[in-house]
Amino acid sequence: MVSRRGFLKSGGLAAFGISVGGVPTFIARAANNTKLFSPYKKNKVLVCIFQRGAMDGLMAVTPFTDQYLQAARPTLFMSAAKDAKTTPLIDLDGRFGLHPGMKAFEQLFRDKKLAIVHGIGSPNNTRSHFDAQDYMESGTPFDKGTGSGWLNRAIGLMGHDATPFRAVSLTSSMPRSFYGDNQTVSISNLQDFAIQMKGNPLGANMAAKSFEDLYDQTSSGLLKETGKESFDAVKMLEKLDTKNYRPSNNVVYPASALGNALKQIAQLIKMDVGMEVGFAESGGWDTHFNQGTELGVFARNSMDLSNCITAFWNDLGTAYQDDVTLMTMTEFGRTVKQNGTGGTDHGRASCNFILGNDVSGGIVHGNVKSLAIENLEDGRDLAVSTDFRSVFCEVADRHLKINNDQVLFPGWKGDRIGVMKS
Amino acid sequence: MRNKFTQLTKYLLLPVSCFLLFSFLLKSPAYKPHFIFPYKKAGLTERQAAAHLLSRFTFGATPGQVDEVVNMGLEKWFEQQLKGALPDDSVNSRLAGYDALKLSNSEIVARYPKPGQILKMAIADGTINKDSVNKSDKKEYREQLRAYMDQKGLKPEQELLRQFINQKIIRAAYSNNQLHEVLTDFWFNHFNVSITKNDCAQFIPVYERDAIRPNVTGKFGELLLATAKSPAMLFYLDNFSSSGTNSNTDMPGNQQMRKIIAARMMNDSASLQTVEKLKKGKKAQGLNENYAREVMELHTLGVDGGYTQTDVTQAARVLTGWTIYPMDDKGYGNAIKKVIEKVGEDKLVQRGFVHDGDFLFAMNRHDNGEKTVLGKTFPANGGYDEGVKLLDMLAHNSSTAKFICKKIAVRFVSDNPPQSLLDKMAKTFTEKDGDIKEVLVTMATSPEFWSSTVVREKTKSPFELAVSAIRAVNADVKQPYQVFNWIDKMGEKMYFYQAPTGFPDKGQYWINTGALLNRMNFGLAFASQRIPGTQLDLLALNNHHEPESAEAALTTYGKLIMPERDLQQTVKRLTPLLTAQGLSEKVEGAAGKTQIPSQPDMAKNDDVLMNTDVKEKPEKLGKGFKKNNGNQIQYAPGNNNMLSQVVGIIIGSPEFQRK
Repeated sequence: MVSRRGFLKSGGLAAFGISVGGVPTFIARAANNTKLFSPYKKNKVLVCIFQRGAMDGLMAVTPFTDQYLQAARPTLFMSAAKDAKTTPLIDLDGRFGLHPGMKAFEQLFRDKKLAIVHGIGSPNNTRSHFDAQDYMESGTPFDKGTGSGWLNRAIGLMGHDATPFRAVSLTSSMPRSFYGDNQTVSISNLQDFAIQMKGNPLGANMAAKSFEDLYDQTSSGLLKETGKESFDAVKMLEKLDTKNYRPSNNVVYPASALGNALKQIAQLIKMDVGMEVGFAESGGWDTHFNQGTELGVFARNSMDLSNCITAFWNDLGTAYQDDVTLMTMTEFGRTVKQNGTGGTDHGRASCNFILGNDVSGGIVHGNVKSLAIENLEDGRDLAVSTDFRSVFCEVADRHLKINNDQVLFPGWKGDRIGVMKS
Repeated sequence: MRNKFTQLTKYLLLPVSCFLLFSFLLKSPAYKPHFIFPYKKAGLTERQAAAHLLSRFTFGATPGQVDEVVNMGLEKWFEQQLKGALPDDSVNSRLAGYDALKLSNSEIVARYPKPGQILKMAIADGTINKDSVNKSDKKEYREQLRAYMDQKGLKPEQELLRQFINQKIIRAAYSNNQLHEVLTDFWFNHFNVSITKNDCAQFIPVYERDAIRPNVTGKFGELLLATAKSPAMLFYLDNFSSSGTNSNTDMPGNQQMRKIIAARMMNDSASLQTVEKLKKGKKAQGLNENYAREVMELHTLGVDGGYTQTDVTQAARVLTGWTIYPMDDKGYGNAIKKVIEKVGEDKLVQRGFVHDGDFLFAMNRHDNGEKTVLGKTFPANGGYDEGVKLLDMLAHNSSTAKFICKKIAVRFVSDNPPQSLLDKMAKTFTEKDGDIKEVLVTMATSPEFWSSTVVREKTKSPFELAVSAIRAVNADVKQPYQVFNWIDKMGEKMYFYQAPTGFPDKGQYWINTGALLNRMNFGLAFASQRIPGTQLDLLALNNHHEPESAEAALTTYGKLIMPERDLQQTVKRLTPLLTAQGLSEKVEGAAGKTQIPSQPDMAKNDDVLMNTDVKEKPEKLGKGFKKNNGNQIQYAPGNNNMLSQVVGIIIGSPEFQRK
């Protein structure tokens, strides 16, 4: 009561900021428990990007020496040969070439920070976007009834304190990966994390104070606790001034949805507020029509993806890179053969990217056989040779220190492939 | 102050007494309720009991509704709601312009093709050059597609879904048959299908209208069967494509026919592998277990309901051939349509085919062998009937009684309903042949329903919160989609929940930091009329008397919006804050000087799942259409006065989140 009255007396509406001592309650609590001043510093964070629509892994990372691929894709095949007419693929290891749109990835790969897994996919051979995404995000490729998502289970297994920002998805709706019993937040813009009254900041302040008071006195434990955390979070972000965020190392994020999302994830990570899982989406990968080669839809998407991720990595800087691993995923790959409309149709295996200091980088992992028809799945698609769960599991286990594969991916038994340093 | 209060009471009492008289005239003297609500033993007054009843079986009380229910008699009101036959003029007039809601599935397929299909059609007709896709100037390309659609009388699927989403909000807010609306929401969520799955999106409006809505208070078994045969469910859980292999078939030409159908029927990528296998001369192993599994795990028995993987596989075999009757030449089922035309429907019926509305039992795709599910044997050649028998058996299983009754109790009573209540409900469910109405009566006449441990203990879902706010102040919603955007922001994008489990129905799921702040912001935006197309007249609620102080506003409107709740604490805590010297003047002064930015909160159309260039374009076209369809976004002037601020705080308050 005293502080409330004092608040009014001092006319401190504009100073509606951090409460006593400037430390949000949940951080103070954790600090008290751990006897650390910044209890969430050096937290491990996993950031996942779902590439919706199914990325053509054979164009992102092309086995360019494969004559069958060249034959199957008369107008889509790109070469690593340096001639003047077209921009060549970036030769990674003499066999695989990175799409030139992903030039930003080259240095990270050479520095052994970035690993690629090729031939990754689901054991369930559905070619429906919905089903394949659903299975990948629930983590149970043969069971639709799994209520929770694998990232939600991951948070539960880590078993740390629930903080407002433990798991944040920078999307307007909650992704399937986040479904489940552990609290997560989905928000498309951190600036929405405030009490808002357009054009009336004074009124908003008054409302905020009123709400804080009301939630503080409610008899519902759930509403009271969450209310407290909400206002802590609001105050933290207010202090952070998300609007005027300046990335480190003069990084400029692409002005795209993914760029915005990753920028905000970087902000949260640098706040040391207990973030453990971040989630973002990248769209436009369902390239049935005129996929393009060095220019076009695919090139634009891959440039955005790699530029955003690289900006994020550089923004983290050396202070945070040790703590963060980023992983991309996509529901399936695309047909080896190009279709009649300059694109590719739904296929099976694709590739993904994993970035981090504890990643076994600079390597194209996995098992991609020659694309002769007898090696293809159903006679048409790059075969799935690495179960996505094997990779997700290894990344989560190694980076987040989770050791319960049976909870993370129920029913799955399989081997690791060594994408993380041992 | 006292004078004012007396005056106020007079005004409030006038309509109430009119109503009393009216309801007295209506009340037939012979009326006796068939049951009694035991709220007095639980220590509730009649008014408190009426408020509790309304908070659980409606989308929120409207002003004066507690009095209405008390005057009518709580039991009678409940019986009337169970019947659900009250006239609904308000809803009907608000839905008058919603032409898509009356269409059949085949009419919808013809008029609202999927975005991808429009493109294919335009390319096939030569209107759009396939080389221009992704290459041409976007605006010009969109114009082309739009002209093509105009010429063909086609409309974007988004428009269909917009009408569908709007109708849910309109019905929930304005229907007199509230319990039927609440139950429609409940059963839809129980038998969830999702717009995020492209294949089933356009069939969802008819699914709710024809499979769910007519059965919400009927027999559970009938509801189950209706969902099983509906195209939305057949697509959502893939049973439409599930087929068996018969070695003992004696039908001439059947083998060939099955191959053709299996190959062409689903021109969806999921079936490509089937086609490939056929080409390779392998046997078509088209069994899909998804529906069979979920019908047991989620719709009937529950995950611990005592079935095994073998039961799932066997049940899937029983349900092979349950598919969709072809709807048009362009869409799904073109191949089987040709077969039907060639062979003739009469002959097919003789062979065991069943055509029932949009549903088709394709005998040639059915596994004819013997099956055993949960110990019951289904003899060979059971045809369509064995599927019906299977569902009937599941509906009457004792695990189902427990599972369904618990789900109902969680929705209407408490996140953790007491076992004693569940036992009573399950007993009724079993004895009354799964009669939902009877189960609801058992629940509402049990002392557990009225216990102080459950009153106010459920958390409203975001949808319930938004609609209860609309109802609490008699708001006039002209653009329901704007309300939908807020509900989405608060964490419940209705009809878009991806998993077949449906939204988890518990407070823990709905309340997290981001969602909670958005609830508070919703309250403020709603009360100050910043939600475009939503109008409210707060003064009219109080007979155009402006409360003389913030405290008076809080007391008066608190009672109006949250009848029979204890508001003492709220008033006590907020009053000093709201009446701080000069504060209200400052707020209003500041507000007066500021122009509300007219930022359109455009109806979002984020096809999260696909997010693809090709498929997005026709949907973007859909956005363009909005400008012309008479649904321009209107911007409310915004109202920052103290009264709307107080009401905003009430709606965002913890007490209003509870039901």
